[in-house]
Amino acid sequence: MNQRAGALPTAAVFAPVDDGSGRVEVVVRRLAEAIALGLIADGDQLPAELELANALNVSTVTLRAALAALRERGLVETRRGRGGGTFVLAPADPSTARLRRRLRELSTSELREIGDYRSAIAGTAARLAALRASADNVTRLRQVLARLDAATSVGERRRADGRFHIEVAAAAQSVRLTRAEIDIQAEVGELLWLPYGEAVDPQDVVLSHTQVIDAIEARDPARARSLTEEHIDKGIERLMEFHWRLVASE
Amino acid sequence: MSDRHVGQVAERVHTIVADIFSSLDRMLASVAACYRASGSFACADLAAVRPEIFACLSRTHEVVAGAGVIVAPGVLADRRRWLEWWQAPPEQDPIFLDVDLDPESLDFYDYTAAEWFAVPERTRRRHIVGPYVDYGGTDTYMLTFTAPAEVDGRFLGVVGADVRAARFEALLLGVLAASPTQITLVNAEGRVVATNSPRLPAGSLLLDPGSDRLPLPELPWSIVTSARDRAISPL
Repeated sequence: MNQRAGALPTAAVFAPVDDGSGRVEVVVRRLAEAIALGLIADGDQLPAELELANALNVSTVTLRAALAALRERGLVETRRGRGGGTFVLAPADPSTARLRRRLRELSTSELREIGDYRSAIAGTAARLAALRASADNVTRLRQVLARLDAATSVGERRRADGRFHIEVAAAAQSVRLTRAEIDIQAEVGELLWLPYGEAVDPQDVVLSHTQVIDAIEARDPARARSLTEEHIDKGIERLMEFHWRLVASE
Repeated sequence: MSDRHVGQVAERVHTIVADIFSSLDRMLASVAACYRASGSFACADLAAVRPEIFACLSRTHEVVAGAGVIVAPGVLADRRRWLEWWQAPPEQDPIFLDVDLDPESLDFYDYTAAEWFAVPERTRRRHIVGPYVDYGGTDTYMLTFTAPAEVDGRFLGVVGADVRAARFEALLLGVLAASPTQITLVNAEGRVVATNSPRLPAGSLLLDPGSDRLPLPELPWSIVTSARDRAISPL
């Protein structure tokens, strides 16, 4: 765990907030930016509440509201008990700021296109996997999903989720669909797991993927496809909401 | 099941497979010699096996896409795991396949769990896996042939060869196309390896093989026959 709270760039992060209006928002934005830019690293512990509130020149009430908002976005977590405190859950990847910029710049029609393409590839892969997956393929899908379920960082989740979709395409016995899925994961995998509170709930994804595996195992191609398409639509809808929020916060 | 076409397909399959396994046998002999010659078997010693790996790639250039030795964990003195695996791109020298062997890494290539390694380790017999999508290594639809490397009862790992599913099918195409009967070569899980049926292309799963199933000796494969199902009328 890094303890870099005293380092130079971070000092500016904790400098007093003094722009008069909407202090909670300002604190949230400053800390979120600092986390996104990697100025405060994953696992870093924030200074104690009172100390941090003093440093930022805000009340502890304001600070707590700001921390609650950051928790909701999945950017910090608060652990209780000995060794407890508020810890940064930053993007394993310090490029979150870059990803947010990218998502902000994508138009909704481009996002829709990404969804259309993903549906075509992953939906078909799921349908064919239900027709062609072996018992081994199903076992491997469940192993990958268990890895997603057990993942503790955004980076691990993204990798396990990407691997799941690639394994479904491989279970469909299609080199072309597998390659397409690898390309898709390389292009949008990061965006799909962009840490942003409600942008994605890992348990939701695990549940949805479990249902897809069950449909594949039950050799129900129509169900495997429709569940996959629903899952993808939902993911793209979340990205669109996130996109609008990013645009609105400019 | 006395159809002479079935007999021809079976014979052709055995010839192709025997050819690949005889290449693997030479690699096995080289691994054994290399192991015996070395006091403490280390990674660098495997360089002595390379000529045989390259010979396998060039002898069966049109068939084998990759070949090599995969060492069981703990056998080499200086590396916990090792793949001495070479790929044969068309018209080029063999390329070493570099995979991530760090168990801590997310991309860790845990080959001991792979069927082509685990089955020969358990049974101490030859094995054929596939066809399967090999997205981890070659990005192709592949069959993998492996044989256990054993010296004085000690399991050292496996030697293996990758054969493109399309290439394998091409080798059988002549006998398959000539048959008026529908002939489907399936693996142990019922997956089609090669066929002359448009309804059951390679890679599809034959869930109900029916009664006309001829298991091929010493191979995890069978031949399934039925009346030929054509998408267009015969000429």
